[in-house]
Amino acid sequence: MPRAHLMSDHRRFTDGEAVIEVEGATVGAVIAELERRYPGLGDMLTNASSAGVNGVIHAEPEYLAISPDTDVYFVAPLTGG
Amino acid sequence: MTVTEDRPNYKWVGTRPIRPDGYDKVVGKARFAADLNLPGQLHAAILRSPHGHARVLSIDTTAAEAMPGVKAVVTSADFPELDASNPERDVAENLMARGVVLYVGHALAAVAASTKAEAAAAVAAIEVEYELLPVVLSLDESMAEGAPLVNEHNVTMFVESDGPSNLATVNALERGDVDAAFEAADLVVEREFETAWVHQGYIEPHACVVDVGLDGKADIWASSQGHFRVRSQTAAVLGWDTARVKVTPAEIGGGFGGKTTIYLEPVAVRLSEKSGRPVKIVMSREEVLRATGPAPASKARVRIAATNDGELTAIEGWLGYAVGCTNDMAGFIGAMSVASYKFPNLKLEATASLTNTPKSAAYRAPSAPQAAFAIESVIDEIAQQLDMDPIELRLKNAVVEGDPTAMGMPHPRIGFVECLEAIRESDHYRSPVPEGAARGIGTGFWFNIGEQSSATVNLNEDGTATVITGSPDIGGSRASMALMAAEELGIDVHRITPVVADTESVGFTDVTEGSRATFATGMAVVNACRELIDELKARAATILGVDADAVDWLDGEAVADGKDPLSLAAITAKAKGTGGPLTVTASLNAGGAGPSFAVHCCDLAVDEETGQVTILGYTAAQDAGTAIHPSYVEGQMQGGTVQGIGWALNEEYIYDDEGSMENASFLDYRVPVASDLPMIGTIIVEVPNPAHPYGVRGVGETGIVPPMATIANAISRATSVRMTSLPMSPPKILAALDDR
Repeated sequence: MPRAHLMSDHRRFTDGEAVIEVEGATVGAVIAELERRYPGLGDMLTNASSAGVNGVIHAEPEYLAISPDTDVYFVAPLTGG
Repeated sequence: MTVTEDRPNYKWVGTRPIRPDGYDKVVGKARFAADLNLPGQLHAAILRSPHGHARVLSIDTTAAEAMPGVKAVVTSADFPELDASNPERDVAENLMARGVVLYVGHALAAVAASTKAEAAAAVAAIEVEYELLPVVLSLDESMAEGAPLVNEHNVTMFVESDGPSNLATVNALERGDVDAAFEAADLVVEREFETAWVHQGYIEPHACVVDVGLDGKADIWASSQGHFRVRSQTAAVLGWDTARVKVTPAEIGGGFGGKTTIYLEPVAVRLSEKSGRPVKIVMSREEVLRATGPAPASKARVRIAATNDGELTAIEGWLGYAVGCTNDMAGFIGAMSVASYKFPNLKLEATASLTNTPKSAAYRAPSAPQAAFAIESVIDEIAQQLDMDPIELRLKNAVVEGDPTAMGMPHPRIGFVECLEAIRESDHYRSPVPEGAARGIGTGFWFNIGEQSSATVNLNEDGTATVITGSPDIGGSRASMALMAAEELGIDVHRITPVVADTESVGFTDVTEGSRATFATGMAVVNACRELIDELKARAATILGVDADAVDWLDGEAVADGKDPLSLAAITAKAKGTGGPLTVTASLNAGGAGPSFAVHCCDLAVDEETGQVTILGYTAAQDAGTAIHPSYVEGQMQGGTVQGIGWALNEEYIYDDEGSMENASFLDYRVPVASDLPMIGTIIVEVPNPAHPYGVRGVGETGIVPPMATIANAISRATSVRMTSLPMSPPKILAALDDR
């Protein structure tokens, strides 16, 4: 099952849990399941986060396909100069 | 010097041809935004707030509109009010204040007139009635209990918010057991740091020329780091469809992150619309300093635990950024700076808070230099207290592939260790420290980003090629695109013309930020060339009368067993008869940007009578992945380093109590010039990024991250004084020496 790694900011929704196992074939499905289990968390992940998957940070990860052994690292959006 | 790892034998990649835009820039023929003049063009001037924070009770433009030469006047009433969900609302309200001015220099109105003097006179005739509001100028004031609200529209991101707040963002990173690690530590060093507001200091002020046609479409000629962003932001601010806006990229005279957003274009559009004439706006240097940029001021508290043998076991800290009058992501990105070391235990909080100062803008590796100044200073102090070589201490703790980044995701293949080793083995580090001087080491990290790019490659009938992209040429990217295309197609780089096209002539391309142009746009060029080669092979098969899969492409020629090779020019000459023009467009959303690390070494002397710091020698090593054009990689490394030296030693915004910048000129805001510094030595380290066809990592930003700590660390070794406040200007150094 994919594992969602949450930043400290996200953990207020999960009683402090940093890593949550969540069913989902895409990052969007993982977010939807997180929202179902932890109301408010999914919205936060949708509106204010990027996702690191397999060493690559994705700014809009909703439709990114993942496998059952994928680690998804949710982070704040990144930018540069 | 280049340290190369398993590099293929490229013919063009890694060579140093003169950049295609080089001659024009050297002799003054290159056309920047302010160089364009259109028939009937008007000149615009902008009324800017003299107050740091005030409610605008009224604006009376009657007298201005009646003045000689005046053709149009605009205020916020001429722009739609964007709602809170619109991501460009802050941009809109920054370029034309709506009801409240948030900093000295905030635009309130603009006038277009026949001459600059007439426009300026009319601006002076606009009458504004203000109700002064409390001015918040520092991070401490902004975050204080009961602090006056800087911007009533701001709500804090990433936390539950009850309403308007000065806090922009609050982020935290945490892993391991920090408390236990500090309890078990042999050595703990804790320091507090602060840095000043600094500007990107680009030589070319913001400028644009806009002509709105009778069809209602806006033709914009502007200097920026991304003309597609100019288009989208302008359309959003005006409430227009994107297709009504065309942006042609002018040459850019420096951006460094500061030209990733807009300040002028929608204003010029409205003035052109109202007057029916083209309108030019060119900022003065004073306007640039008062109303664009800067990089946030910051404070930091950092505590690091270590064992006696130099293992860094924990870091705990707080990073705070004063981000100006609107929300900004500075805090979280700064916290990423811990990514260079393994730190099994980590607890960092990062905060950004608003002040009545200009809306801050990105500046090369935004937020990382402030954080690295703190972290690298404390690490160096640990090395001093343990009597360890500063490079050996860092090597002992440096991240390698598979170690966690700040966010926890494992690092891909990276070159931090290789950069440390390159400096350790350099002539500079192996040479004795000059008499009367001291040597400092510092490092920096930047994650780099990919994003969307497009490229079109046209093969011409004589076998030459045109490579068209949408990334402005900020640091030699035309040359880099041409080199990658030459390598792919197998033709001489001088037979390739790289073009930066307008928004109607090339596919969408994201703004140049995150050191992405050579990486992502270069990847689009490579993909287009590879698709083109497939087509060339098919055309050659037709000409040669063989199956397509019998044709290979080798060094610019189609080859098939038993047939004479066909050059690219021989195939393009027969394009009409074999299927028509040879052109391919490739677009992508590039993933896999390779993180970049840098290690710097500085020799300096401190004059203890004057507090003057003299840089005697400086070497920068940086992992470029693969240097497509080494001269421009070196240029990026040197440029970032010099800007960091300015940040370290001289540069700062000085505000009066009202928030008016007192040093708004290059005479008083002192950036380093060539005569201040020795030649900056460079060592390009090449640890190829496996996610790019040529191994490219971005190189534009990392170079600015290490200098502040590198210099502070050298000053510490020269004087036994640990400097914790930037800039380390002569008065501050003298005060620190007096307290020694």
